[in-house]
Amino acid sequence: MTALMINGLVNGIIVGGLYALLGLSLSLLYGVLRVVNFAHGELVIAGSYVAYVLFSTFGLSPLAALPLAAISFFIVGWGAYFVLIPRLSKSDDPETASFLLMYGFSIAMAAVLLLIFEADSRSIDYSFDPISIPIGPVNVSTARLVALAVTAVVSAVMAWFLFRTLPGKALRAATMNREAIQIVGVNIERLSAFAFALTFGIAGVTGVLIALVFPAFGPFSGAEYSIIGFIVIVLGGLGNPMGALIAGIFYGIAEQMATVFLAQALAQIVGFGMLVVTILVRPTGLFGFRVLR
Amino acid sequence: MLSHTRSQQDREHGDKIFWRLAATLGVIVTTYFALVPYFGLNIAFHFYMMMWITMATAFNISSGFSGYMPFGYVAFYGIGAFTTAILVKKLGWSVIAAVPMAGVAGVILSLLFAPTLRLSGIYFAIVSLALAAICRLIITNLPEEWTGGSFGLQLGSRAEPLNAFFLMMGVMLLAIASVLWMSRSRLGKALKAVRDDPEAASMMGVNIGWIRLKGWMLAAFFPALCGGVEAWYTNVVDTETAFNTLVTTKTVIYAVAGGLGTVTGPIVGAIAMSWIDELVWRRFPLVNLLILGVAVMALVLFLPRGIVGSVLRARPRWRRFIP
Repeated sequence: MTALMINGLVNGIIVGGLYALLGLSLSLLYGVLRVVNFAHGELVIAGSYVAYVLFSTFGLSPLAALPLAAISFFIVGWGAYFVLIPRLSKSDDPETASFLLMYGFSIAMAAVLLLIFEADSRSIDYSFDPISIPIGPVNVSTARLVALAVTAVVSAVMAWFLFRTLPGKALRAATMNREAIQIVGVNIERLSAFAFALTFGIAGVTGVLIALVFPAFGPFSGAEYSIIGFIVIVLGGLGNPMGALIAGIFYGIAEQMATVFLAQALAQIVGFGMLVVTILVRPTGLFGFRVLR
Repeated sequence: MLSHTRSQQDREHGDKIFWRLAATLGVIVTTYFALVPYFGLNIAFHFYMMMWITMATAFNISSGFSGYMPFGYVAFYGIGAFTTAILVKKLGWSVIAAVPMAGVAGVILSLLFAPTLRLSGIYFAIVSLALAAICRLIITNLPEEWTGGSFGLQLGSRAEPLNAFFLMMGVMLLAIASVLWMSRSRLGKALKAVRDDPEAASMMGVNIGWIRLKGWMLAAFFPALCGGVEAWYTNVVDTETAFNTLVTTKTVIYAVAGGLGTVTGPIVGAIAMSWIDELVWRRFPLVNLLILGVAVMALVLFLPRGIVGSVLRARPRWRRFIP
């Protein structure tokens, strides 16, 4: 293995961790609410801007921005749920309507970001000490390793939450059967609002991490992350959060390895190509079971 | 027996009103747009209004009649624009010969995408989005002597805005006529049947795959023509504008605003939203995008069936007459 390939692999795991978080939240939301959040990428970018503002005006380190972004986004998400989602159930086709609704939301969010921060791309020039740490033959920036560590912690907490706590189990149960869980006495409205808010919170965290890992972000970078998130949830199976985690890392590695061997533009095509092939060959995703409707 | 003939009479009566309304609509639309250049109205504004009417109408074939939401609709538009530009600029074709080939290119692309028709709902929408991104990436990476690279292709001295205007009008009328015919034909009814219940439609002898493919090809044909005519009108084609996702966005919004599944819906929606867009753009250029986004959300939340759809829901009996 050459240094280049190790580099690709390490970067793939780091970037893949972020993709996993994107997929995890989209998957959770689709599972519980049958809402495909087109605006997730814009939310994530909003998280990056939160880190940017906190750093450039208050000098706060991105690590301190993490909990702030998570909590503020959670609260906003809780409120947004009651404005946006309950009306959807009156539509003839709630799933497509939700897609359209969040499509509008994403355009509006990008426009708001554009109005506040203008079209220039931004970056946070916060640097950890030391700037990079050698791993075998390659040097990896500390910021990226920190991001990887945070990703690992968030994923572990989410896995523990989903499989070991009662609210987490309720979320998974709601994914499997939305009607039955109400018979057992779960307040589905509150649970849905919680799921919605939770994905907002994760989006905030992801955004801060993206500001650490990727060189720059702008008001319109969101769509790219939404699409990557879609690819990941389809690879992992819609409504299967753990599948999304694995698929995210898998996709990140594939993408970064492709940049090692192919031109940048072709590497992008590899990602989309993977989506198309997967969906045609195995529509339930790589690790998939199809969620009951 | 008596009731049978009566219902038949009733239906013939309804049909008569339907076709009269359709003819009136056609005459009004044709006259209005045909007179635009002679009264010195804003040609650019009306050109794009006709283009959005065509795009929304064709989108309706896929989303309204067949139940597929192609969120990568811009792919057909872009391929049409590039086909026209390459044929005219590199092979020296005349524009009038190149534009129909753009339509053919759109249909060929739709055949390549045809395997995705076995997906449904959100899966289809996501894959369509990805396919449009792939098309854009492929065209961006083609050799520069074909696509002009980031500068795009200029059609040179061939700009004839007025002729492009009338060609666009022809394309629009063709699109409206096709959907009008379709809504009353076996194809339209079969498409709706397959959309609502594929198994039942299959039991009744409808060839599901073939019917879906027909609807899909028709839905791809018109945006490709639009791309070609627009290339002629603006005289320049590049990947940034030809594959701009805003094309899909506007098409979807305009069609949904009017109401999917009716012939008049997308027309009404495109006209109304073009005006709103124009007025907002003139007064508040900065918040235009924001208003566009909020408009989509408001539409989905408060008017999910669109303008015409809501009217028909309030007056279900009109369904027989209104195209």
